[in-house]
Amino acid sequence: MTLALLIQSMVIGLSLGSIYILMALGLTLMFGMMHIINFTHGAVYMLGAFVIYYFFGQWGVPYVLAFFLAMILLGAFGFVIERCIYRPIKGGIEPTLVALIAVTTFVQAIGYPVFGTLDKHVPTVFHGMYSILGVGISAERLMIIPIAIVLVLGLYLFINKTKMGAAMRAIEQDKEAAALQGVNVNVVNALAFGVGFALAAASGALMAPIFKLDPMMGEQPLLKAFIIIILGGLGSIPGAILGGLILGQIDSIVATLLGLEPAFLLSFVFIILLLLFKPTGLFGHEV
Amino acid sequence: MKSKIRTVTLLAVVLLALLLFIALGGNYYAHLLALVFTNVILASSLRLSILCGQLNIGHSAFMSVGAYTSALLAKNLGVPFELSLLGGALLATVVGIVMGYPSLRLRGVYFAMVTVAFVEAIRLIVQIWVSLTRGMSGLSGIPKPSLLGMVLTTKTDQCYLALGLMVVILLILYKLEYSRLGLIWKSIGMADNLALSLGVNVAAYKLLAFAIGCFFAGVAGAFYAHFVRFLFPPTFDFLMATNILVYNYVGGRGHFWGPIVGAAFLSWLPEIFRGSEATRQYETIFFAITMLLTILFLPGGLITLPGKLSDLFRRRAESVPSSAPTVMTPGQRVAIQGNPKG
Repeated sequence: MTLALLIQSMVIGLSLGSIYILMALGLTLMFGMMHIINFTHGAVYMLGAFVIYYFFGQWGVPYVLAFFLAMILLGAFGFVIERCIYRPIKGGIEPTLVALIAVTTFVQAIGYPVFGTLDKHVPTVFHGMYSILGVGISAERLMIIPIAIVLVLGLYLFINKTKMGAAMRAIEQDKEAAALQGVNVNVVNALAFGVGFALAAASGALMAPIFKLDPMMGEQPLLKAFIIIILGGLGSIPGAILGGLILGQIDSIVATLLGLEPAFLLSFVFIILLLLFKPTGLFGHEV
Repeated sequence: MKSKIRTVTLLAVVLLALLLFIALGGNYYAHLLALVFTNVILASSLRLSILCGQLNIGHSAFMSVGAYTSALLAKNLGVPFELSLLGGALLATVVGIVMGYPSLRLRGVYFAMVTVAFVEAIRLIVQIWVSLTRGMSGLSGIPKPSLLGMVLTTKTDQCYLALGLMVVILLILYKLEYSRLGLIWKSIGMADNLALSLGVNVAAYKLLAFAIGCFFAGVAGAFYAHFVRFLFPPTFDFLMATNILVYNYVGGRGHFWGPIVGAAFLSWLPEIFRGSEATRQYETIFFAITMLLTILFLPGGLITLPGKLSDLFRRRAESVPSSAPTVMTPGQRVAIQGNPKG
């Protein structure tokens, strides 16, 4: 492996990692507050990509607008899921999980008749190549990194500086105590669903011009996000960021050296080994 | 005692009906039923983990190990079906113990996520190990199942074999669930800390339940391999694992018959859409809607449906003769609810 190839792999790893982080942040936020694993996250990623396909690719809406539209539409979908699925089940972890699996299956299955069975492509948004230390990187992969940084910073400020963010942190610490302090738990949970879904939609929207689109495209990113949040510690936001960065590098460098499948396998083996020695993950609080 | 006789009679009738159906149904229904029986074995074998309160979304991994091991033993080494099935099941158990040992100390959702990693890890190993498993080209030419040297050539005979396997496995699982061991598993599922404080070796019993589940998943996989005679890594993916879990929840996880009802119902459901290509793609949509409606409106699963219906009818029958006014005066309401200010 030459130095140039290494640098290229690392930059691509960073851009992959950014996508993974956006996926994992929503998952870990929702886990921290409600102790649920959102299996719908992959389907939301897929829907985000399809919003870009229709609005930007087919109907000519500017990309930036389509991007925000994807986040808003799927954020609203998050509210709907919270109201119609999560709230009626009243926090039963396992029934919620099965219900979310059902929603995912439904969305994916309905994708085929609605979107058609052929793979879809979205035209390139950011044209050209950038040269970093003499290594060429395509602009569309590079642009993911600053956009992801902005979104992560936005989430950080939202959680740490706003009243709603404080309510989220309160629920994460103790739901009953938060409710006693006057936090409207249902509204804040709905907001967490909305934020998590919007972030997943954003990562789908960012990846849409790079990969081909089909209704099952969200499965792999979902599994990656699972690995990341186990790695970083469930419910931990810094953990999700660090986990995303590590997994992005594994996926890029190991995939360049050995191929895609061994890279994926390595990340699973890594997880099983990590659990042997540190079951809480890198930043976890509990088992 | 009386209800026991009734249950046994009911089971005998169901079994006879199944035998008759296999005998008269022809190849198509024999094929379908054999797959339903396989799903029942899978769903019921997962139940052991659920009893201990472990949410396992990785059961298809062990089915895959059983299927590939048995297929390769029979195909490459000419091992007879009975032994290759056993070999597949045993390797599935070993893999289950190796993977389960480190991860079973995790609880609930944490464990669930690791089992997702199992499925993917096994699927990727099968996919990468092309020289052995033929990877994504798929493994074909797997010999048909045989019993005592007699090859079962027709689908009908193979379906009888599946029925036999299912009945034997269900009997074993039933005995296990209602034994002392089953009680211990249930106690772990209800309150593992309490069980631990009473001197139950929680980790060992969880691993035992998991390993037995993996063994039967391996049996189901081995039968599947010799029955379908073509193996393809994505068959045993995350989706199949979630289906096995869903059978348990849709059927009802609170009862031994839950996974059986769930697997039979949901595996048979796509039959409604058979025939016309246009409705074929709605099969999964319908599946998902059924799943969702059951979870939302029948939290106990389909198994509680007859009880709920009879409750409903009984209540209606009782309410008809009494002609009490349905609208209460405010005074009556206070009398029932108690003084709101008190």
